[in-house]
Amino acid sequence: MRVKRIGGWSVTGWIFLVLLLLYAVLPMLWMLITSVKTQFAAIQYPPEFIPSNPTLEQYYRLLSPSSEIGAQFLRYMWNSIYVSVLTTIFGVGVAVPAAYAFSRFRFPGRNALFFSVLFRNMFPAVVFLMPLFIMMRWMGLVNTHASLVITYLTFGLPLSIWLLKGFYDNIPVELEQAARIDGCTRFQAFWMIVMPLSTPGIIATAIFSFITAWNEYVYALTFLNSDEKLTLPVGLQRFFAEYSTNWPGLMAASFIMSVPVVVMFLVLQKYFVRALTEGAVKA
Amino acid sequence: MAQVELREVVKDYGSFLAVKSVSFTVKDGEFVALVGPSGCGKTTTLNLIAGLLDTTSGEIRIGDRKVDDLDPKDRDIAMVFQNYALYPNKTVRQNLGFPLKMRKLPRREIDEKVKAAASLLDITHLLDRRPRELSGGQQQRVALGRALVRDPQVFLMDEPLSNLDAKLRVQMRAELKRFHQDLNATVIYVTHDQLEAMTMADRIAVMEGGVLQQFDTPERVFEEPANLFVAGFVGSPAMNLVEARLNRDADAFVVESEGWSLPLDPVNSRRAAQATGPDIVLGARHSTMTLHHEPGEGRVQGRVYTVEPTGDLTYAHVYLGKSIVVVSTDPQTRIKPDETVWISFDQSRLHLFDARTRLRLLPE
Repeated sequence: MRVKRIGGWSVTGWIFLVLLLLYAVLPMLWMLITSVKTQFAAIQYPPEFIPSNPTLEQYYRLLSPSSEIGAQFLRYMWNSIYVSVLTTIFGVGVAVPAAYAFSRFRFPGRNALFFSVLFRNMFPAVVFLMPLFIMMRWMGLVNTHASLVITYLTFGLPLSIWLLKGFYDNIPVELEQAARIDGCTRFQAFWMIVMPLSTPGIIATAIFSFITAWNEYVYALTFLNSDEKLTLPVGLQRFFAEYSTNWPGLMAASFIMSVPVVVMFLVLQKYFVRALTEGAVKA
Repeated sequence: MAQVELREVVKDYGSFLAVKSVSFTVKDGEFVALVGPSGCGKTTTLNLIAGLLDTTSGEIRIGDRKVDDLDPKDRDIAMVFQNYALYPNKTVRQNLGFPLKMRKLPRREIDEKVKAAASLLDITHLLDRRPRELSGGQQQRVALGRALVRDPQVFLMDEPLSNLDAKLRVQMRAELKRFHQDLNATVIYVTHDQLEAMTMADRIAVMEGGVLQQFDTPERVFEEPANLFVAGFVGSPAMNLVEARLNRDADAFVVESEGWSLPLDPVNSRRAAQATGPDIVLGARHSTMTLHHEPGEGRVQGRVYTVEPTGDLTYAHVYLGKSIVVVSTDPQTRIKPDETVWISFDQSRLHLFDARTRLRLLPE
C-alpha cells in the first residue's frame, strides 16, 4: 500500500493557511465576544476570552426603536439599506445592458469606451473626493442620499460591467442566433435565453454593488452632514466618538452591520464563486 | 419546402469583403453543400440566408418572397449549429418545443409534434434530460429535432457533424442524407470537409475568398473542376498539379517541365491552344495515372519518393522533375523508394489549367 508522504511544503502551506484564517477570523470573533460582555468586563485586564456573564443588553438597546440610541442606530441602518439597495438596483440595471452591448456588439469607439470605463478605477477614490463634492454642490445634491448613490455607481459600474461582460462572453452567441431563428426577436432572445443563463453573474454583480455601497465611508462622511441622513459606517464612527467608553455597544453595532453582508454571502456564495470562476475561465 | 435564390449577394464588413457578389439558386427539395476552406465566406453566406447578418447589397429570395428585410424568425427557416446551440437550462422536451412555443401553438399540438420528432430521431427516452447530460451524438440529434419539429421552408446547417468523432460522423452523415430523402427537404449545408459535401449533396457550391468558384453536381465538380482552386480542393488525395510549359510541335502540343515532357493527344492539344500563354498547370488525379517498371511511349520517367499502403490502394509519391505526384496502384505492385519508375497518363481525364487565369482550359 502506498503511504502518502507529507512533504515539508505541504506542512508549510497548511501553517500559512491556518495563520491566514486566524488573521481573518479572530477580529470578528473578538468583536462578537466583546459585544456580549458588560461594559466593565470589556475593559478588564487581562481580558476574558469567554465572558463570565454574557449579556445581550447592547443588542436590545440598539434594536429597540424606543430608546434614543436605538432610534438613531436604526435610522442609520435604514439609510444604509436605502442607499445600498438603490445603488444595487441602478447598478445592475445599467451594468446588464452595458456589459451585454460590450460583449456582443461591434460599434465605433467600443474599445476606447471600454477602457475609459476601467480607467476610472486606476485612481484611488480620494482623488475624486473634492471634484465630486464640488460637482454635487453645484447640482445641489450635498447632504442627499442621491449624491452617494451617484458616486457609488461611478465606482461600482466599471467593475460590474467588467464582471458581467466576462459572463456574457462565455454564453455562445449561437444560442441567441438559434433563439432568433426559433421565433424570438432580438430582445426576446436576450430576455428568454441569455438572462436566465447569466443569473449567477447578475447575482454576483448585485452582491458586489451592495457590499461596496454598504461599507463605503469616506464619501458618506464628506457628502452628508445632518445626523438623520448618515449611513452606518459614518454613524458608527459617531458612536465611537460620543460613547467611546462603550466598547460592547460599538461591537454589537458593528456585528449587526456585518450581518446582512454575511447572510447574503452565505445564501448566494455558490453563485458568486461560479460567477468569478466562469467569468475568468473559458468553458 | 421552397427554393432559395441568391442574386449578387455582397457582404462588406468595411475592412473586409467577406462575400463578393455570390449568386446561386437552390431548387426546391435540393441538398446543396457550401464548401470551402475556413474564411472562404461560406458561413457568412449561410448567416445571410438565415438573416443573422444583413446583406450589403444583392437580394435573397426564399420561395417567392424577398426576405432581405425580414427578421430571422419571419423567414421560416430552421438552422442546426456546429456547437448545436441547445438551450442549456431547458430540457430536451423544452428545447424541441421552444420554436413551437414561440409560434404560440396550443400546448397539445406542441406535445404531439415534439413526440413525433423525438420518435423519428429515436430520442424519446431523453426528453426529460438536459443537454449537458447527453453525449455529442445525442445532442446532435436534439439539435436536428429542434430544426425539423417546425417543418420549415429551408434547413440551414452549419458544419453540424464537425464536433462528432469520426465513426459517429459517418453514421450521422448517412442518417442526415436519409432524412433529406424522406422529408424531401431543401437543405443548405455548410462544411469545410469536401468528402462530406461530395457524399451528401445534390449539388456543391465551392467557395474561396468570398467568391463562388463552381456550383455543380459532385460528379462534375470532381471530373470537371472550373479552376485550379476547385481542382486542388475537391478529392482526396488532392489532384496532382504540376507547373509546366507548352511547346508547339507541328499541330500538336507538348507539355514540358524540368527533365520530362509529355506529348498531348489531339483533344488536349485543342485545349492547349486556348491558353493565354505558354505557362500552364497540368492536373491529374492519382487514379488516372499508371505506374510502370519500364519505359514506353507516352510514359514519363520519375523516381519513387515514398510508398503509402492503405490496404485498398497503395499510394506512391513519385518525383517528376522537382514536383511530387501521388499515383495510386494495386497493393500487389512492388515498388521501393528511390526506384526509377515510368508514369503514363489517361489523357481523356487529364486537365490543363492556364497558369495566368487559373481557369481550366476547354476545347474551343
